[in-house]
Amino acid sequence: MNYIVTIGIEIHCELKTVTKMFSGAPCSFGRKANTCVNEIDLGHPGTMPCVNQEAVAKAIQACTALHLEIDPLVKFDRKNYYYSDLPKGFQITQQFHPIGRNGYVTIHVDGESKKIRINRIHMEEDTAKQFHLSTKTLLDYNRAGTPLIEIVSEPDMQSGAEAQAYAEAIRQTLYYIGVSDVKMEEGSMRCDVNVSLRPEGSDVYGTKNEIKNLNSISNIGKAIDFEVERQKKILESGGVIEQETRRYDDKTGETILMRKKEGNVDYKFFPEPNIFPIRLDAEWIKDIQDHMPELPEERMARYQETYHLNDHDIHILIANKEMCQFFEDAMQTSSNAKGIVNWLLGDVSGWLNKNNASIETCNLKPEALVKLVKMIDEGKISSAQAKELVEDLMAGKDPEESAKEKGLAQVSDAGALEALVQSVLEENPQAIEDFRAGKDRAVGFLVGQVMKKSKGQANPGLVSQMMQEKLKQYQ
Amino acid sequence: MEEKKDQAYFRKLANQLMFDLSDEEANAIVKEFEVLTKQLELLDAVDTEGVEEMIYPFEEDTFFLRKDEVTHVISQEDALVNVKDKIEGHFVLPKVVK
Amino acid sequence: MIREIVENKAQVEETCTKAYEKAKAYQDKLNAVITFVDPKEQLENLPEEGLMRGVPIALKDNVNTKGILTTAGSRILSNYVPIYDAAIAEKLKAAGAVVIAKASMDELAMGGTNKTAYIGPCLNPWDTSRITGGSSGGSAALVASGVVPMAIGSDTGDSVRKPASFCGIVGIKPTYGRISRYGIIPYSSSLDHVGYFTRSIEDACITLQVLAGRDDRDMTSSYREVPDYRALLNADMKGKKIAIFGNVLDAIANENTKALFFDLVEKLKEKGAIVDTFYFNEDLMKAMLPTYYLIANCEATSNHSNLDGLRFGVRETGASMEEIMTNSRTKGFGPLIRKRFVIGSYGLFEENQDKLFRKAQKVRRKIVDELNVCLKDYDCLLAPASSTIAPRLDEASGDELSDGYLVAENHMVIGNFSGYPSMTVPMGFEEGCPIGVNLTCRAFEEDMMFNIGKAIEEITGYENLIAEVK
Repeated sequence: MNYIVTIGIEIHCELKTVTKMFSGAPCSFGRKANTCVNEIDLGHPGTMPCVNQEAVAKAIQACTALHLEIDPLVKFDRKNYYYSDLPKGFQITQQFHPIGRNGYVTIHVDGESKKIRINRIHMEEDTAKQFHLSTKTLLDYNRAGTPLIEIVSEPDMQSGAEAQAYAEAIRQTLYYIGVSDVKMEEGSMRCDVNVSLRPEGSDVYGTKNEIKNLNSISNIGKAIDFEVERQKKILESGGVIEQETRRYDDKTGETILMRKKEGNVDYKFFPEPNIFPIRLDAEWIKDIQDHMPELPEERMARYQETYHLNDHDIHILIANKEMCQFFEDAMQTSSNAKGIVNWLLGDVSGWLNKNNASIETCNLKPEALVKLVKMIDEGKISSAQAKELVEDLMAGKDPEESAKEKGLAQVSDAGALEALVQSVLEENPQAIEDFRAGKDRAVGFLVGQVMKKSKGQANPGLVSQMMQEKLKQYQ
Repeated sequence: MEEKKDQAYFRKLANQLMFDLSDEEANAIVKEFEVLTKQLELLDAVDTEGVEEMIYPFEEDTFFLRKDEVTHVISQEDALVNVKDKIEGHFVLPKVVK
Repeated sequence: MIREIVENKAQVEETCTKAYEKAKAYQDKLNAVITFVDPKEQLENLPEEGLMRGVPIALKDNVNTKGILTTAGSRILSNYVPIYDAAIAEKLKAAGAVVIAKASMDELAMGGTNKTAYIGPCLNPWDTSRITGGSSGGSAALVASGVVPMAIGSDTGDSVRKPASFCGIVGIKPTYGRISRYGIIPYSSSLDHVGYFTRSIEDACITLQVLAGRDDRDMTSSYREVPDYRALLNADMKGKKIAIFGNVLDAIANENTKALFFDLVEKLKEKGAIVDTFYFNEDLMKAMLPTYYLIANCEATSNHSNLDGLRFGVRETGASMEEIMTNSRTKGFGPLIRKRFVIGSYGLFEENQDKLFRKAQKVRRKIVDELNVCLKDYDCLLAPASSTIAPRLDEASGDELSDGYLVAENHMVIGNFSGYPSMTVPMGFEEGCPIGVNLTCRAFEEDMMFNIGKAIEEITGYENLIAEVK
């Protein structure tokens, strides 16, 4: 039997704010334990929440980028449960009135575009971090109270690849507009995936399982592919899917049972009495929306239009915001977009990968790359010669100087080349015969001989041009 | 199906709230619950059709949002001043099983 | 009293030290204090000026004080040393007030007797065989016995206004949002108010001026300007329209209470007040207590989920996180508190909320709508603050939710539902024990409330009543 796979994803992202969602203590990553807190984050008696304006602004940006309608009346609710990492014994969230509703993001899988609907985005606060030792658990409240948005998709995805593309599209969008670091490995973006199967033809959703602990985008696809197969096997052998929470083990590539869900947990949601509804100023919202950073899809269109780059290059470039920035800085003074992109995605990226470095922290400056590409374009050095300069270039050296040091220069002097061309023709009468017999290869051969004679320093374009000219007399 | 509101029921409820009840205490709640049930009839006697919940004493919208500036941080020492057991600036618990 | 102390600069130190000594001396008889605070250091750091410079005061023990034990009357917090000051603790300090005691209270402010404090009951200075009422009983006792001229309380149902009645003093619950709640250990956030006790209306004016005002840390606090209440004070009753709370008077059996009340009403009329009787819908009156009970307990069970013994408070031993939490909360909370948490949690269950919590919130609106009808035509709603004088320690029912709980004993919660300003002022005595009258006014009309209070004070002559502690 064939099965229809249904996937919904909940994504939590930490917002990049200076202070916490409800307190004026700083947000931090990797600071000394319990040094970025105040009494509010520790849930001390008598403390009260105070909403961070920037967190609301960032949530509005996220909603706008993902096409959600914004509710200008901000309200919060309590989600009540007891856990060691939850200081107040409740989390302040937006259960009943999320800040954003009904959006979408467009994904591209196998050359097809598909809109994945987003049900809601709401604001809430993060929990404390736990470190599990052999017999003890240590608690650090630095993370407690960090602003989060939760993005809840509709169950619109049907494969691991689609889910992966969705998570990547969300990640890229939030990263572009700068509202979150979206680092899955550091936990600033976390994905929970719900997967269910139903037989083709049935319109009743199957029992869903939730997969947690997905610490990379690629693991989302792998975990779902595994989970789909696992559920399929159970269904095909006449079994029943139980409602479970599972986690993905990236060593074995399997999903593992964490706990069975016994009914729904009752979180006893109710409106947070300490925060009156907050009416957002329409002008303020509009101002945020009018000053949105460029979104990935907008940038793609612009690169196509302005620089005429091909789709493949654009997709790779767009995925790296810093690389884009470098590219755009270079294009301030360069007129060869294609040349710059080829270098960035080719030798520069290769070098960065090999050295585990990044474009924004390496020593390469846009001006240097512009100069290098220009030297090639002007025939001062050949592309082959330029490759010898990569190490120097990445070390921050001026390409002109290092070309000089290495003695790399193209012979473009017409007189010198004329002599070389003449002597090659004289030495290769057979090639001239071949040319006269209509064998085009002969031209390439003769040019190659000139290059060889010049020890690679002759300007190949110029040589080719001169050779064509000379051979005309033999036609 | 409605669960029976007996001692066991309220003890289970108490345990969800992370505390226990003695037999006597559980019994007192069973009794109080009977009174509450009667009191609820008094609530039911009020027609609230179409009435909105009153969540806050005042319902004028507010506009204030806090500026995203660090206003108040406490020292690690203060954070931990009310606990005995601490390791390297952390609060300590027996291992929490997830 | 406050003004005299402030003006008598030279004797400030003596006044505070005496108050401190007196509080200690009365402790055996009243058991009003949980923690004594030596005024010495505060006296060395007094501001140059201040509306309360050098005035000894007491704080209810749910007001957080940095570095000073703050227990909220509960065993689970019996070792809790706050790492921050409540907003009002800061304001009082800036005005020059000197804290000499953290006063006893019902556990987590959830009671009306002050019998549930973990240190045992607080006793009434007028008759130590009687209760003070609660939950702000310790604060009331310290003001009534003349130890301090002002003490902070908190009022969720009538926790300032009821003990004020039993102790023969002024008890104020201003408008919701008038005083910041930041740093007050809560009971029920939508009903909680910071309140206070004094022995005169003038002191009540001065105190509110110190305490009131916007605080960004409490998002529910009001931006309204704080007037100079004392400058606005006058006892002119001409044309003031007063509504007698008819349902409450009908429900009171005690003839003496009614006689005291109607005698007062007559005198208010003589002063030019226009008095009518206003009746609330009787169904709403009867629904008042269950409405309060549900809202308060539902919010309380959530508010106190942070008391788990992990980051502060008394931590009991246990082999796991769950065991530590469970043992700490079982031993840390008294049986009454646990009972209320269970009921509150029941009311919050998703399948119950429509019938319980949300139903209560809807009834709350109808009650407040009815009050608005009344206050549209009248400047205040007037009723006895209790049906009798303070009950004896062994009579006081504890806190059962019983059918016998009368309309007469629970009407003041209307001030918490609405958030409107409400106060109790002494109106007379029976068996040597005081009883008060309660008035409720429109939102932010504390000045009106003080004026009517002042007129009552002039009529009764009960300014600066002090109980002789025997």
